[in-house]
Amino acid sequence: MPVVTFKVSGADNCVRVADLPYVYIRTETGGSVLPASCPHRGGPLNLATVDAAGRRLVCPWHERGTSLSRLRRQVPAVRSGDTVTAVLPGPADVPVEHCHLPLSPALAAGA
Amino acid sequence: MSHTPVPHEPFELRGDALREAVLAYAANPLYTDNEEWENSDNPYRRQLRPQVLPYLDFDRVPGRERILEYSSLAAQRLLTSIYEADLVFFPKAGLGELAEDFRRYYSPGNRARGELIRPALERFAFGFLDEEVEVSGDWTTEGLLAYLDELDVYAPGEPSAAEKAIRDSSDPQRAARMWLIQFAPDFLSEASPMARNVLGYYGDEQSEWFKILIDEYGYGVHETKHSTLFEATLESVGLGADLHRYWQYYLVSSLALNNYFHYLGKNHEHFFRYVGALYYTESTLVDFCRRAENLLKDVFDGSADARYFSEHVHIDQHHGRMALEKLVKPLIKRHGEQIIPEIVRGIEEFRLLSTIADEDFATQIAWMDDADRYKELHDPVYEAIREGRVTPPVADIVEPYGELSNTHSHEGDELCHIVSGTMRFVSGFNSYRILEAGEGTVIQRNRLHGAIIESEECVYQIFSVGDHRACLS
Ligand code: FES
Ligand SMILES: [Fe+2]
Ligand SMILES: [Fe+2]
Ligand SMILES: [Fe+2]
Repeated sequence: MPVVTFKVSGADNCVRVADLPYVYIRTETGGSVLPASCPHRGGPLNLATVDAAGRRLVCPWHERGTSLSRLRRQVPAVRSGDTVTAVLPGPADVPVEHCHLPLSPALAAGA
Repeated sequence: MSHTPVPHEPFELRGDALREAVLAYAANPLYTDNEEWENSDNPYRRQLRPQVLPYLDFDRVPGRERILEYSSLAAQRLLTSIYEADLVFFPKAGLGELAEDFRRYYSPGNRARGELIRPALERFAFGFLDEEVEVSGDWTTEGLLAYLDELDVYAPGEPSAAEKAIRDSSDPQRAARMWLIQFAPDFLSEASPMARNVLGYYGDEQSEWFKILIDEYGYGVHETKHSTLFEATLESVGLGADLHRYWQYYLVSSLALNNYFHYLGKNHEHFFRYVGALYYTESTLVDFCRRAENLLKDVFDGSADARYFSEHVHIDQHHGRMALEKLVKPLIKRHGEQIIPEIVRGIEEFRLLSTIADEDFATQIAWMDDADRYKELHDPVYEAIREGRVTPPVADIVEPYGELSNTHSHEGDELCHIVSGTMRFVSGFNSYRILEAGEGTVIQRNRLHGAIIESEECVYQIFSVGDHRACLS
């Protein structure tokens, strides 16, 4: 499993592993690392909004909701200050690329 | 017969009740100011500067950017004193005339008052970690092992900021002594916080932890007890090894690092956090001690007794392995993967506190080394005040011969200006400047310092300038 450390905001707030981007998001209920890709057709979950109940992320493409608590559980991670270390799925030696993805205001609480 | 249950209220001490309880604890005569810079063979005296405590607010959680401030130093000094009432200390020379102090320190009253304020002080001192370290996601054993692997705990690391500060210091021996002093609260009663975790009844892991503990205690052979080795280190470089001799020279971050383990060990709800921090500290100590051994050899030309460090290079390879194979893994098997986030949290919290301690120490060494520059800064800053370009609040102070301002720090820069008399201004162990009438010094924010009056009387002024650079333009 690749273990990757990156910034929680700014230029290097995203890592791309096996073509899947991961970002650190933070809502009122805390922070976590998510795959920034919608399970439906791969829409940008980093730009998602949170539904009124605060339970689902709503994808900007076809407005499908995905359970936030399920997404949160997906990637074990630990944030210390402004960096986060995540344990990602896949073989340990898979190439990892740091990049940037913008976050919707709903996912950048406290940033 | 029917009983109405008493509603359960969580215990919480806040506001004025907290302030009064802190004052009541610190009013114990043990905690008043010292007339000397060092304690001498009295393990019960701990200077808490009770006269300042009425002005401090512990009913809040300072963020990371404020944890080096004086309120934090005061809280960490209080906590050290509270935690250590669980430990047994006697003067090296025997109890002798200290029986009264002995009873005052271990009395139920002192202990109960300490326990009463401890939760609030812990929240104040370590609450920032809740914000700084956050574990998320579902952790598996496999994920944890991948993460531990990536930490690469045994890899030869770069010298820390503290080690660099010592090597680059204008007085490396003084800096190294100040450094050893920072370890004294931990190493002289080494593994005492850990011992809190071997009491009770919890299965094989308890016995495994006990094995680590008996290594630390030298298997009952006093000469090989780790604290005995550290005493030899202190004495070989001319320092005293009696408990808290250098209490006034402890930095807030050094106390925080040591208190952190007491905090986890005292509150068993954080047991798994302790296990994580234990794994990290034992395993990374191997390379740290290798570097420390070389550093002492270089700085003291081979005359420092570094066996404390060489012993740890060896034994902590075992302790790191034991912590992982005999504690971390079996505990997860027994209690499930739900405990992993706490283990990870302990690791990251300890890493963060170490980084903070490292930087704090390096900054203090720079502050000590730059004593002349800060003294010279008096002139332009005082000039700015005299010309009215800045108008900071001022305190006029008159003190008699021998008056010792026990060490402390300020939240902003200050200017000390001597009107008449002579002051010895102290900025660290063996680090001072003599200030005469018309002279003074800038005091950098959050830097530990103290002073003693060397003339019949000294009249001086303290200007709270905030940021001294603002006075220079
Ligand atoms: S891609 Fe997200 S809803 Fe369709
Ligand atoms: Fe040890
Ligand atoms: Fe050890
Ligand atoms: Fe001062």
